[in-house]
Amino acid sequence: MNIIEIVLLAIVTFIFAIDQFSLTEIAYRPIVACPIIGLILGDVQTGLVIGGTYELMMIGNMPVGGAQPPNAVLGSVVAMIFAVKAKMDINAALGACMIFATFGQYVVTLTFTVMSGLMAKADKAAEEGNPAGITQVNVISCLILGSLFAVIAVIAYVGGIALSPALESLSKNASWFMGGLSAAGGMMRFVGFAILLKIMLANDMWGYLLAGFVCALVIGNIGTISAATLLLVAFIGVAIALNDFRVNGMKKKIEEGGFSDGI
Amino acid sequence: MASNQDLRYVDTKPAPRVSKGTLTKMIWRSTMLQASFNYERMQSAGWLWAMLPGLEEVHTNKQDLATSMTHNMDFINTHPFAVTFVMGIVLSMEQLKSDVQTIRSVRISVAAPLGGIGDALFWYTLVPITAGLTANMAIGGSIMGPVLYFIILFGCEMALRYGLMYASYNLGMKAVSMMTEYAQEFTHAASVLGVFVVGALIANYGGGTKLGITIANGEAPIVIQNYLDMILPCLLPLLLTLLMYFLIKKKGWTPVKCIGLILVLGIVGAMFGIWTGGYTPLIPVPWTVS
Repeated sequence: MNIIEIVLLAIVTFIFAIDQFSLTEIAYRPIVACPIIGLILGDVQTGLVIGGTYELMMIGNMPVGGAQPPNAVLGSVVAMIFAVKAKMDINAALGACMIFATFGQYVVTLTFTVMSGLMAKADKAAEEGNPAGITQVNVISCLILGSLFAVIAVIAYVGGIALSPALESLSKNASWFMGGLSAAGGMMRFVGFAILLKIMLANDMWGYLLAGFVCALVIGNIGTISAATLLLVAFIGVAIALNDFRVNGMKKKIEEGGFSDGI
Repeated sequence: MASNQDLRYVDTKPAPRVSKGTLTKMIWRSTMLQASFNYERMQSAGWLWAMLPGLEEVHTNKQDLATSMTHNMDFINTHPFAVTFVMGIVLSMEQLKSDVQTIRSVRISVAAPLGGIGDALFWYTLVPITAGLTANMAIGGSIMGPVLYFIILFGCEMALRYGLMYASYNLGMKAVSMMTEYAQEFTHAASVLGVFVVGALIANYGGGTKLGITIANGEAPIVIQNYLDMILPCLLPLLLTLLMYFLIKKKGWTPVKCIGLILVLGIVGAMFGIWTGGYTPLIPVPWTVS
């Protein structure tokens, strides 16, 4: 137990927690983060080995498309604590850290849900033309995310591997709640879409909405091209929009009498 | 959300080009794009924060700034490193005081497809290659592994942010000034594209919303979601979006109220094991959750 180590660990965990979505979005990756944590815990060499191994494990498990894989920040921090403090071997440490990484994923889900509620505050600041209010919302979010991560890191440091069974059972008992939160999280984007449509969707545009929906469904279900779905759909959309522009531009010209010559 | 209805800026005189310093500030601020990422609007508050230096310089009229900030709080999700491309285009439109409706539509139509390109280039190509090169150096005990990894990836990231910002800002200035004669028609066409892209987003981002009810039936378990898919794939995402649209537009619900409803739907649904997700329902139900 070493107070300086705990404080430093909490600080870097706080920073990595924010870094995983903002800042550099590189420094939190295990290959960089683990040696830094190793420096704090007094064993850079183990940090390099765990970081490199974890990084290779993560290829193909990228944070894309809104999916949340087991959290790499808590995974790295806790694997390092187990390997350096509990002298576990590297593979055992990487295995044992996963339950904490799962909790990291819960924290992320929780923060993303809570921040949906705070969008009302940002809307209000925007309506008042108040930039400081927007800054505030962003700062609050970073504080929530960073602090929760730092707390879990400290708990892992103090409680060590002995905590795992308790966490496992907590995770099992709370699974319906987390399942509900992530189901809700998956649905909240529909509110964001509805706000967009509220303004954009004129009465003559319902067909375009459905057509876009169908294009994404079709392309998204063709395995070989599904990764590029939105780009491909946008290409089709551009063609439709250009046509719309042309038709309406001609209509305007006709109304102005510009086309009457020679017809 | 009253100012959502304001479709035009009060001061329609194009503002002068924003300074290099402001663009640089926006580029660095763009690193905080996901600072308050959330499930409802995703990157919107971070996006607005990154846009603010430019918006404040362009909109000297206080009411216009408020209008601009309000529509810049719309839903947005794009690739965090490629976001400056969208920022440059939107900034040029704000500066030339384009119709607000046009800005909204162009913003989402450019942002959405970029996400996929960015992921493919960065997370599926550059990161795995760099990791492959450097991870073994680290495992071998060399500090150069992580150092190289950071320098290569962060360098590429910042170069991308800088390059895209200037490229798209200049491009936007040229494109938007050509559109002034047909502004109204352009707005309509942009909205068509915007609505089309949102339709695609419903299917593309909404696919995770599924029923998880699986009724044991010997060799052929009954999966309720499969029956829904036979009616219309992604039926639930489409219906929920339309429900939210109805509640907001016709019933005057605030977004927070909608979020509340969804939270209840999600959690109560999970108590009974209705949604998919591999959890254990709170209440024992005669089906399993897939």
